[in-house]
Formats: sequence, structure tokens, C-alpha cells
Amino acid sequence: MVQELNFKKRGEDANVYIGNKLVSPRITGICKFNKRQISSINKKGGEKAMDLRRIRVVMIVSLFALFMFAYDGQAKQETGFDDKEIRVGQWGPQTGPAAAWGNVARGSKLVFDIVNDEGGIAGRKIKYFIRDDQYNPSQAVAGVRELVEKQGIFAFVGGVSTASCSAVQGYLLEKEIIWISPCTGAATFYKPFNPYLWNMWPSYENDASVIAKFAIEKKKFKKIAMFYQNDGYGLDSLDSVKYRLSKKNMELVAAIPVEPIESDLSSQIQKLKASGAEAVIAFVGPKQAAIAVKTSVSLDFKTQWMFSYNLSDYEMMNKITDGLWAKEGVITSAFTQEPFAKNELTAKYTAAVKKYAPTERWSIFYMAGVVVAEPLVQVLKKVGKNLSTKAVADELNKIKNFQGVGPKVTWTATNHMGPKSVQIWQCGPKGEIITLQKWTENEISRD
Amino acid sequence: MDMKRAYYEDIELFKSGVIIFWTISLMIVLFTIPLYASNYYLYLFNLIMVHVIIAVGLNILVGSTGQISLGHAGFFAIGAYATVLLMTKLQVPFFAAIIIAAFISAFFGFILGLPALRLEGPYLTIATLAFGLAIMHIIGHTDIFGGRTGLMAPPLDVGVPKLGWSWILKTDVSKYYLILIFTIIMVLVAINILKTKAGRAFVAIRDSDIAAEVIGINLTIYKTLSFAVSAFYAGIAGGLFAFVLGFFDPVTFNLLLSIYFLVMIVVGGLGSVMGSITGAAFITYLMYALFKNVREVPYLGSFLVTISERWLTITGLDNMSAIALGLVMIGIMLFEPLGIFGAWIRVKKYWKTWPF
Repeated sequence: MVQELNFKKRGEDANVYIGNKLVSPRITGICKFNKRQISSINKKGGEKAMDLRRIRVVMIVSLFALFMFAYDGQAKQETGFDDKEIRVGQWGPQTGPAAAWGNVARGSKLVFDIVNDEGGIAGRKIKYFIRDDQYNPSQAVAGVRELVEKQGIFAFVGGVSTASCSAVQGYLLEKEIIWISPCTGAATFYKPFNPYLWNMWPSYENDASVIAKFAIEKKKFKKIAMFYQNDGYGLDSLDSVKYRLSKKNMELVAAIPVEPIESDLSSQIQKLKASGAEAVIAFVGPKQAAIAVKTSVSLDFKTQWMFSYNLSDYEMMNKITDGLWAKEGVITSAFTQEPFAKNELTAKYTAAVKKYAPTERWSIFYMAGVVVAEPLVQVLKKVGKNLSTKAVADELNKIKNFQGVGPKVTWTATNHMGPKSVQIWQCGPKGEIITLQKWTENEISRD
Repeated sequence: MDMKRAYYEDIELFKSGVIIFWTISLMIVLFTIPLYASNYYLYLFNLIMVHVIIAVGLNILVGSTGQISLGHAGFFAIGAYATVLLMTKLQVPFFAAIIIAAFISAFFGFILGLPALRLEGPYLTIATLAFGLAIMHIIGHTDIFGGRTGLMAPPLDVGVPKLGWSWILKTDVSKYYLILIFTIIMVLVAINILKTKAGRAFVAIRDSDIAAEVIGINLTIYKTLSFAVSAFYAGIAGGLFAFVLGFFDPVTFNLLLSIYFLVMIVVGGLGSVMGSITGAAFITYLMYALFKNVREVPYLGSFLVTISERWLTITGLDNMSAIALGLVMIGIMLFEPLGIFGAWIRVKKYWKTWPF
């Protein structure tokens, strides 16, 4: 007895049940079908081949995925180094919304390439790993764990994004892995003290304070306004600028917040214009900085824009502002030395870029990667043969007035804070860097 | 394919001894994974299970009820923030906190379900999208929620610290078991929901809401209920996610995450619990592990690096991971419109008549 005869829409795929047993089309010959039904049942052979092909595709895809899964890295390495290599890692947004900052992680590679070409350190080469976190903390944690547990990492350098750095900080501390400087000036990385984390970034508080000092003392501005991103980055610096001004019995003529996602800034710029500010100290991201400068020009608001060191890549800023960055003579602070300063170190690095990474642009953020890698190499060289986390940590704690292409740093066993000084630059008419003020320390730092 | 002779046969959990056998085997494997997997894989498994919970919930809404949501990252965020804030600010014990958080999330799901009574298709998509984005920015704006700086999750104490009975889960293994138990319960509940009156009402609404109303299904109740249930799942998942990651900020719960959740259930198979599970596991694995360590694969790695540097950009190899993820998704959609679950059905059907 035929229980169910289920033809799909295409009229090809038949399920024929006798009782509750599915029978093959051949057996169903005993049932009475009309011609059309029989021909459609016979077609099922073709359908079967199609099925097979699809199944094969699915199997190939899953096998491929399994292969990737099966590759498990080398055997677990506890120490992060052996007689042949020292393993160093970094995460960074190589893809995703902040991919433009991916060159920080690639910049560190330059330093290690140079060292390895010189023969390594005490016979050991530095093996360097980059993991792409797409600017997403959960990806950063996955990458860091994979590196630490599968590859075995001796030290981490750098790390862009405050969120990603915050997400991995606890884990790295627990594993007692040396970490030289998250690429951010946020306060969470030195308060409270973390014995395995050394900061190289000037805090935003110090940065803002030095900019304000320059505006008041050198430029003699009387009316200063603040334009800040409504988060830790902006609020830390607002607080610091206010403190600096209060020392001179001055007040901000306006303090205008902006949400990091806003792209129409005309109302904020109108408010700044209405305040009559001679200078605007702005702590915003690159995109909003560009929009702010463009809007101020179109609204005919003549002011001196002063930005944080995060915007000191003039080449890039000129590109996204169509040259307004140079035309307006924007002032920023800076945490590196000039990219093309005439000295031996710069010459060495620019030559190395040509050799190892000819497609990279020698720019501020690429240099940032170099900045965080320099002290590690310096200390590893000092420690030499008898390598251990403790030995390296002890040497890092003894670093005094060390300067590569970044700021001058000094660390002690109880103080791993970043430097308190920044430079002040101005963008010249051809997009070149004019150094207005050499390294200046924030003498009223509250850190 | 099987004959049903009684109502109970249709709703029973294990339809045959074979299923019981494989379920028990799977449970044994899941419960013994910490014995042979390293901590890194446990982190990955924890993420997968969190995503399984949210995908199962989302599939009740999208696959079974036919309502779309691009705002599930919002519910996910509500779950995470509410759990952590209840624990840190009000000292609520973990289990109570996560359940209250899930109910808060469900309440927002109910609210979002109201416009769904009148909106359909792309309009509903926009409404849910707006919800997801709004949550992200409200949290970012409000200091008590940690603003844009984000929140640190407290130690995961599953006891009642106020009564002096505290049991802090520190290791990944203990978190793994906690999340595994949550996942099993939530999956069982989902399977059962779909077999109840409510579940059948959801399916009827998906197939035709007018017809469903004609046969006496209250659209107001069941559509909002579907949103609320789905949001409840997202809330639980969010609460667990907070402790898997340990730190989160509003940007963690961005639009892309909502889209990934949707991708998980579409790739896995709409309208099926097993589909959600496989989809969530598959996509999470691809997102977090595919090609990430390709540079270190012997021979192949250096070969790819050379190709990438010679023919592509500097980040060419990193972008390959995203491209591969996209290709896998396109491949599945092309060859298996029903998703991984559809492939599974096909394989099962093929072997059923084997060797004929």
C-alpha cells in the first residue's frame, strides 16, 4: 500500500513509502503509476548524481576547515624562548575599521628584522608574530591566547586600541608576560601599577597640558576653547586643560563635546565660532579632525587648531583634508622625533624600510611600532645569554633616559609610567614639519 | 520520514535509540574536552557556546516566527551590562543577576516586538537595526554604564557572597562547565518551546500571519512573545559573554555583530535548533581561527606570505581570512540554500537508501 507519494515542485524527487518504510524507486515499479510519474521517478538517478556532487562539495569544504583546525602550531612552549629564538608577539588591526593603524604592528617587525640580520641576540633570533584583531577585543583575546598557549611568547610589544589592550591586560599579567607599552595614553594601564607592563606613551593628560601650556605661554592666546571626544580620551584631556588654565586664573571660553560617530560638526563649530576662541585644543579622532577643520574653513571661523599627538601624521591628514592641514597651519603635539630628522638612527631605519618593507610608508604610526620595540631589543642585548623574564624585567626597571626615535623614558621598579614630555609641531605650507618646541615636560603632572 | 502514530511520538525528545546513543556520546565528548584541549581552545569553545545560545534564540525569532532582527547585538549588550552592573553595584549573586538581566533583555524584546506587529520585511529590519545602534549609543552616553571606556567584569562568583558563601570560578575550565550547562539547558528549552502550542503558533505566523490569525492565534501575544524569548536568550548569552571576555565596551556590540548572528543561523539552517548550533560553531570558528595562524603553517605559510607580498598588498594575507569567510558563506548559500542543516538532511537521506 502506498502511504505517501511526495513530489517536490520540480517533480523529480520522489519519496515513496510502503508502510512506514522508504522504498527505493526501483521497487516502486510494483505500484501503479501513470507515465509521467514513472518518468519522473526514473529521473531520480540524475538527481542522485547531483546529490553526490553536492555532498562532495560540502565534504571538501568541511575537510578544508578541518585541516585549518588541525594545524595546531608547534608543541607548547612554556618559556617563550629557546637556544635558537625568542618569540615576541603583537596584535593589531590589519583589517577592519581601524586598519589604517595596522602599520604599528608591522613597524615593530622592522626593528626585529634589523636585529636578526645583524645575527640576532646572543645567538638567538627574534621570531615575531602578528595577530589581526580587527579592532575587536574578543579577537585580540583569541589571538593573544593562541600566541601564548600555542606558540609560547616571551614578550608582547605595542597593541593598538584601548579596548583590546584592556581586554588582554589581566590575562598577560596573570601569565607574567612582559608587555612593553600599549599604544594608548589611557590611564588604566598605569593605574594601578602593573609589574609586567611598561608604558611608553605619554598620557593624554600630560599631552593636553603641554599643548595648553604652549598656547598660553608661547602663543599668548587669551581665549582658548576645547573640542573633545566624549570618552576617556577627550575627558582626560579636558580635565587636564582646565587644570592648566586654572593655574593661570584662566577659563575655557567654550568646551564642546562630540560623539565619536558624528560626521556633521557644523553646530559644534558654530558654537566654537560664537565663543570667539583664538585657539581650539581638540582631542578627537582623525576623521572628525578633518571634518572640523573643513567645517571651520567653510564657516569662515579663523582660529588656531591644536590637536593631540594621535594626529601628527601630516601626510595622511593633508590627504584627508585636501591640503587644509597645511593651509591652516595646524599645530599638534608629537611623541616621536621627526620622521626624516637628520641623524644616524633615522638613516638606519629609513634604509631598513627600503630593504625589508619597500611598500611601507615611513610615517608616524609605523614609527610607533619601532618605538615600542626599541627598549625590548636594547634590554635583550644587555641580558644576553642568561635570558629569563625576571632578568629582562629587572633590566627594564633600570632603564634611564632611554631614547630611540620616540620620547625619552625612565622606568623604575615601582614606576612604569610613560614619559611626561611631548614635542609641539606645526604643519608647514608644504605639509612639512616645523618643530615649534622641543621635548617639553608637563611640570604640573598629577599622575 | 518517520511515521508518527501518536502525538507523543511527535514531541518526544529522543526519537530513537540511535539518537540517544549519539547524544550521550556527544555529551561525554563535551564534558571531557577540558582534559585534552588547551586553554586557548576552551576560550574558543566558550565563545562558541555563547554564540550557540544567541543563535538558538535568534532562530526562534527569525527561522521559526519569520520576523527579522538586526538588533540582537543590542540585547546581547543589555544582557552583558545588566549582569555585570547588578553584580557590581547591587551585589546580586551571579545566577540571580544573569536571570534578571535576561528578563530585562526580554522586556526590551517585548517592546521591540510591538512595532513588529505593524512592520514587515525591510521596515522591521530598519526598526530593529535602529534599536541595536541606539542601545550601543545610550550605553556609550551614560556614565553609570561605564560610558565609552567600557566595563571590567568582576570575578565570576557563582555563590552568594552576601551570605559568606562564595565560590569564585577563575579558570577557563570552570567557566567552560558553567557555560556548557547553561547551553545545554537553553538548547533543551528551545527544542521544547518549538514543540509546544507557542512553537506551533510561531511557525504558523511565519507561514502566513493572516491564516494564523484566522485559526485563532493571537498575533499580538505570539509575535511579541517570540521577540521576548529571543531577547531572553540573547540576554543569557550576553551575561556569559561578559565573563568570557572579562572586558567590554559599547563598540564591542556593534552592527557587524548583529549581522554575524544572522549569518550564523542562515548558514546553519533557518528554523532548526541543530542548524543554529552548527552554524554558530562553524562561523565562530571561521571568525576567530581560520587563517589566523596561516603564517606559521610549515611550507604553506611562507609560500602564501611570498605570494601576498608579491601580488597583493601588505595586509593581503590578513584580508584572505575575511575573504575565505565570505567565500565559505557564498559557497554554502549556493550549494546548500538550507544551510549546514540542509546538507546534513541530504547526507542522511542519501545514506538511508544506501547501497541502492
